[in-house]
Amino acid sequence: MTVKNVHVDVLVVGGGIAGMQSALDLADQGYRVALVEKEPSIGGKMIMLSKVFPTLDCCSCITTPKMSAVAHHDNIELLTYCDVQAIGDRPGGGFVIDVVQKPRYVDIDTCTGCRQCEYVCPIDLPSQFDRELGAVRAIRVPFSTAVPQKAFLDIDNCILCGKCQQACPVEAIDFAQQPETFTVEAGAIILATGFELTPAGAKAEYGAGELLNVVDALVMERLLAPTGPYGHVLRPSDGKEPDSIAYVQCAGSRDKTLGVEYCSRVCCMYAIKQAMLLSGALPLADITIYYMDIRTFGKGHEQFYQNAKAMGIEFVKGKVARITEDEDKNPVVRVELIEDGSKVVERAHDLVVLSVGMLPGYNPKSLYGVPVADDGFAAIPAPNIRPSVTPKPGIFVTGAAAGPMDIVDSIVLAGAAAAEAAAYLEEVRTPSPQRAAIEEAVHA
Amino acid sequence: MSTRVDPILLDEIKDYGAINPEACFNCGNCTAICPLTTDDHPFPRSTIRQLQMGLRDQLLESADPWMCYYCGDCTRTCPKGAEPAETMMAARRWLTAQYDGSGLGAKLYTSERAVFRLVARYVVLTLVAFIVYHALTGFDRIVTDRVELNTFAPVMLVWAFVLVHFAFLGFRLGKNTLNMANRVMRSTSEQVKIPLSVYVSEFKAFVTHFVTQKRWRDCNDVDHSRWLKHLLLVSGYVTMLVLIVPLLWWFQTDNIYPVYHPQRWLGYYATIVLLFASVEILIGRYRRREELHRFSHPTDWLFPTFILVSSVTGILVHIFRYAGWAWPTYIMYVVHLMAVLAMLDTEVGIGKWTHMIYRPLAMYLDAVKKRARQEKSAPELAPAGTD
Repeated sequence: MTVKNVHVDVLVVGGGIAGMQSALDLADQGYRVALVEKEPSIGGKMIMLSKVFPTLDCCSCITTPKMSAVAHHDNIELLTYCDVQAIGDRPGGGFVIDVVQKPRYVDIDTCTGCRQCEYVCPIDLPSQFDRELGAVRAIRVPFSTAVPQKAFLDIDNCILCGKCQQACPVEAIDFAQQPETFTVEAGAIILATGFELTPAGAKAEYGAGELLNVVDALVMERLLAPTGPYGHVLRPSDGKEPDSIAYVQCAGSRDKTLGVEYCSRVCCMYAIKQAMLLSGALPLADITIYYMDIRTFGKGHEQFYQNAKAMGIEFVKGKVARITEDEDKNPVVRVELIEDGSKVVERAHDLVVLSVGMLPGYNPKSLYGVPVADDGFAAIPAPNIRPSVTPKPGIFVTGAAAGPMDIVDSIVLAGAAAAEAAAYLEEVRTPSPQRAAIEEAVHA
Repeated sequence: MSTRVDPILLDEIKDYGAINPEACFNCGNCTAICPLTTDDHPFPRSTIRQLQMGLRDQLLESADPWMCYYCGDCTRTCPKGAEPAETMMAARRWLTAQYDGSGLGAKLYTSERAVFRLVARYVVLTLVAFIVYHALTGFDRIVTDRVELNTFAPVMLVWAFVLVHFAFLGFRLGKNTLNMANRVMRSTSEQVKIPLSVYVSEFKAFVTHFVTQKRWRDCNDVDHSRWLKHLLLVSGYVTMLVLIVPLLWWFQTDNIYPVYHPQRWLGYYATIVLLFASVEILIGRYRRREELHRFSHPTDWLFPTFILVSSVTGILVHIFRYAGWAWPTYIMYVVHLMAVLAMLDTEVGIGKWTHMIYRPLAMYLDAVKKRARQEKSAPELAPAGTD
């Protein structure tokens, strides 16, 4: 085990794309960084995705090199399967952070990731990584491109049969492991705690999560991903290839009844992207996107949208009011065709994808003293001039912890947070009056 | 046809109780969730659109607000919290005021003081009428050792006044109803002359909707309890109307009847129903639990309050009379008359009361238009005037 006291310049909390990028940006400049991640592997939400918009680059091909770079960087201490437990101020500036290493029940230093344990484990569980479309074992390497490529044991679902212990060629399995607390001393903290998706049952009008063939967009990402569960796009109720797929936009954003008034900023683009990928995977399928407005504001986004229209994807203006099910479990959407004579129609599709929104995943108030804004994401006092600076000196924020944003913006903000954290460290070492004035203006 | 845009229309409707119509961004959720909307009537969105665009003439000619029964599904699911159902309600208030050419309806909807003034006027007028009558006939003629209501307020005199008053109210109601019908029929884009026979043959729609309000049952209100309570209220109200207008000579009596006599049980039925329904409505508006009771314009309180006060005073007149208490009977009778007069004059033709005519009328005119369109598009299938 590598559990010890860690002294670094910056602690990055969260190993998704934003946290990894901040860690790399700082480490490349020579700062010592610790990256703490609650899951057994880094990669966050991005590693689950199929392709990225608007370039349609393979998502794994962009994410895995970053994951490897983080794991192998001399200046980065990677702390996976760890929780931050408490934070204190370090005398003379900076923070002392108590971190708990959750037991993997596998010695991470000796495990080679050969997966022999996984093959013999008798327990099958729904795969959270594959959004419950596939199965995993109780002891497993988290997913095929996980970093670190090491096994961990889901002890809650283990029957302690010992088969993995017998199969392990390096005797890495240790059922007696206990949680271990250690401290990280850091001069600054970057929060990259990410987001959660609108829960499946959020909207009663959309079946409250009870309709089998109404799935969320992350399920579709897994169906479309090369590493996905089936290698085909199949609908859940009967495994049929869908001939008609509908996207319901704003199924979690811009909706007061859900308490989410903001736009999640990614749903229009990911729906268009998935529609394009589906046109490739299922060339004969009809794909319809029901929308209130299409918001394609990023570089290359509008052209992407126009291309999708030219490809024959049907865009229908109208907020879907209700989704029901016919006797064949086909989802039926009820919508006013605003641009077609204001007719209210009920249309059956084989599969409906809800373009769910981004919700705050974590409230940093109690642990980090960083308040949240009205939208539930971290408060940012000067969003126009210092978009990664929180009201708490020395703590910065990046990625979707700061608010809904796509991968491009997460990477941009990750660089900004790294620069702010570096500037903060230099400022503590050699204070300057100009900076003090700016600091005062921001935190006033 | 040119369309005039009226930028103050939206603010005007807000004076009639629309809560947040400018928040609407026309996503169509309300229309799609609405169980009552049809291809010809894609409300509430179409109505809100007319408001936002300032299409005063189109809104004046629209019957859509009368086809909305405030199920509340639109408001419950509106992603912007634009309160579409309350906007439809405000549009109904506004239309009621617009159909009334005198401007009194508009005043009562937008000024609480005007309502108080009018009510006060009827309190004073009734009092003055009784004082003058008894001053002329001699106060000593009031019988006080037993109840003689028909000496205190001779039924034939009261009835004559009621009939004259109803003639006036009927004229006002008829005028405003015709006004609505004219406006709604003007919006018929076909510009065809609709034969009288269509008007006659479709009149059943008016009767059905007037009597049953069956459209309300299409709301996703599973047990139809709202509709049932309202139907009960209507039955009580109509019973009372019949007892007072054509039958007052029979209903207002000094005779003491046995309990099975229709004069008693008809009165009891109507009173109990009116009491129950008006109290139930007022409690609902106070609690604000159901969608249709979350917002209450002053005029929404006014009508059930009038009904409640009229029924309470009416039943007290009855109780005091059977108890043989002369003065309490007479005083309560005067108060009862004040309440009923004020109610009729602030409601019939210009207030919330009038929805009992405008709603079935909207359904009727819609049926007429539909029939006329059918006959025009397929005359060979339905030749008019042949068997």
